[in-house]
Amino acid sequence: MFTRILVANRGEIAVRILRTCRVMGIETVAVYSDADARALHVTLADRAVRIGGRAPVESYLSQAAILDAARASGAQAVHPGYGFLSENDAFAAACAQAGLVFIGPPPDAMAKLGSKTAARRLAEAAGVPVVPGAVPGDQSDAALIAAAQQVGFPVLLKPSEGGGGIGMKAVHAAAELPAAIAQARREAEAAFGDGTLYVERLVARPRHVEFQVLGDRHGTVVHLFERECSIQRRHQKVLEETPSTAVTPALRARMGAAAVALAKAAGYANAGTVEFLVDGHGDTASFYFLEMNARLQVEHPITEAVTGVDLVRAQIEVAAGGPVPWTQEQLSQRGHAIEVRVCAEDPRQGFLPQAGVLALYREPSMPGVRIDSGVREGSEVSVHYDSLLAKLVAWGETREAARQRARHALAHYPILGIRTNVPLLLRLLAHERFVAGDLDTHFLQTEAAALVPAEDTPSADARAVAALVRRGEPAAPAASDSATDPWSSLGGRRV
Amino acid sequence: MSEEAGDITVTPLGAGRFLVTRGGRQRLAYGTHAGGATWVFLDGDVTVIGPTMARARTTAADEQASLAAPMPATVLAITVRPGQKVAAGDVLIRLEAMKMELPVRSPRDATVVAIKCREGELVQAGVPLLELDEA
Repeated sequence: MFTRILVANRGEIAVRILRTCRVMGIETVAVYSDADARALHVTLADRAVRIGGRAPVESYLSQAAILDAARASGAQAVHPGYGFLSENDAFAAACAQAGLVFIGPPPDAMAKLGSKTAARRLAEAAGVPVVPGAVPGDQSDAALIAAAQQVGFPVLLKPSEGGGGIGMKAVHAAAELPAAIAQARREAEAAFGDGTLYVERLVARPRHVEFQVLGDRHGTVVHLFERECSIQRRHQKVLEETPSTAVTPALRARMGAAAVALAKAAGYANAGTVEFLVDGHGDTASFYFLEMNARLQVEHPITEAVTGVDLVRAQIEVAAGGPVPWTQEQLSQRGHAIEVRVCAEDPRQGFLPQAGVLALYREPSMPGVRIDSGVREGSEVSVHYDSLLAKLVAWGETREAARQRARHALAHYPILGIRTNVPLLLRLLAHERFVAGDLDTHFLQTEAAALVPAEDTPSADARAVAALVRRGEPAAPAASDSATDPWSSLGGRRV
Repeated sequence: MSEEAGDITVTPLGAGRFLVTRGGRQRLAYGTHAGGATWVFLDGDVTVIGPTMARARTTAADEQASLAAPMPATVLAITVRPGQKVAAGDVLIRLEAMKMELPVRSPRDATVVAIKCREGELVQAGVPLLELDEA
């Protein structure tokens, strides 16, 4: 087993990985950019190494800087987390060359799955159903338009490399294509350094259901059931749950077998996620392979909540050469888990990302609730990284019990100083269609009017608290300046 | 020190926590100052009272003449030039922040008077990026 692991990431996922390492008695090395010198993940590690400037390309995406940090700190293995270098097969190979174990899949399996085209061919060969689509070898606008017409509208344009919804564009008619192609290509190039696009048929009311798999280096692969991730905004997940309300035991068995077959065909080892698009629900539903994410997922804690395993621990064990710690028969789902992603964004301003200081930040603690976060009170949320602050995971014996716990925990999760999506998440958890489990990937868009909070209309209670907050504040220059006095700036509002 | 307004009583509990009592029913609220405004959290809803709201109104009014970055961002591309006529909804500038592309659109039909940023530049929130002629 390793005695020292470098965590090549930041934010909540770095914190989450560090915690398991500590439980296992493994020393930890954190890395940080200039923007993160005092970040939570840095202070939780045994050692911390500065790797460069604020921009990701200067630090968390710099393979050379991370390999240097691993060598200098004497780490034997690197955990990449998600995002950044986690799905970069060249980085995985460079780790091996430097004598470091990359805690993730083998580079050749990553290369096969990282390209949507190659992954799709692999799925077809393994007998796993796929959505109709194509990647033209000729990437000219004309060839992409021809491919879209052949696949049939509506279509989805996706970067061939990468994931996370970046650069994906839904196109409903040929006339919209040229602009969408240009934007998708630009975003793909900016995010992944490769503008190759993939054209795919869009299913009308799809659900996004994914399967967690774990494999070892000896050829064993098991699955840890599904995660329902249909609540998305622009292909970025907002809420995930398991089990899925669309999946019956028979469908689960078929999809689980397909996920394992695909992972085996790719020569996969370590943790991965096979994403499917589900059309319909129950035993008669159809499912199509979308892509395989060759990394730990953001939403892995809901799987941990219902199966009772520690996926990061299992990743470390199989990376060290050990077998998958459980047989398929030993794994089972108990109860229901819901995760909501708490993000620094303002739903009322078109989900505009927010930057600033978390002036007040208090995580709730209550039975059945787990919070994975990368921040604390006083943390600065920077524009350089994504807007995910924390993940709140609620478990319950039933879906309804989990839902109630999630709502209660969110209603006691004050985050002040920057706007977050907490008010939206509360409305989502209370929405009648969500309560009924009637979901599809358009849910957030369709129900936006009911979910986006209205303008601030301070309640009498909130105004009374605000009055006391102001009075209790020492006479700081800004607060005593009559020009910025909150009451006068409210204009004619009667208070 | 506590605040009483009508039948509401608010008692500070320290560290930004407040007990709100109304009609005998107690609830826990949180409050703090940030960015010159007063922020209150109560039952999952956030209320911001103060200059942030005022500034939002000013920005909306100022949009008639100059367009500002909504948050610190990198200028990806400037898609218009001075003197160009633009229609309401046209994308004038594309910004990028937190891995998301944010288009800056024209609020109305107008003529571009001046460009006040450069491609690749990191711009701060509220800084004018471009000027349109008077409505």
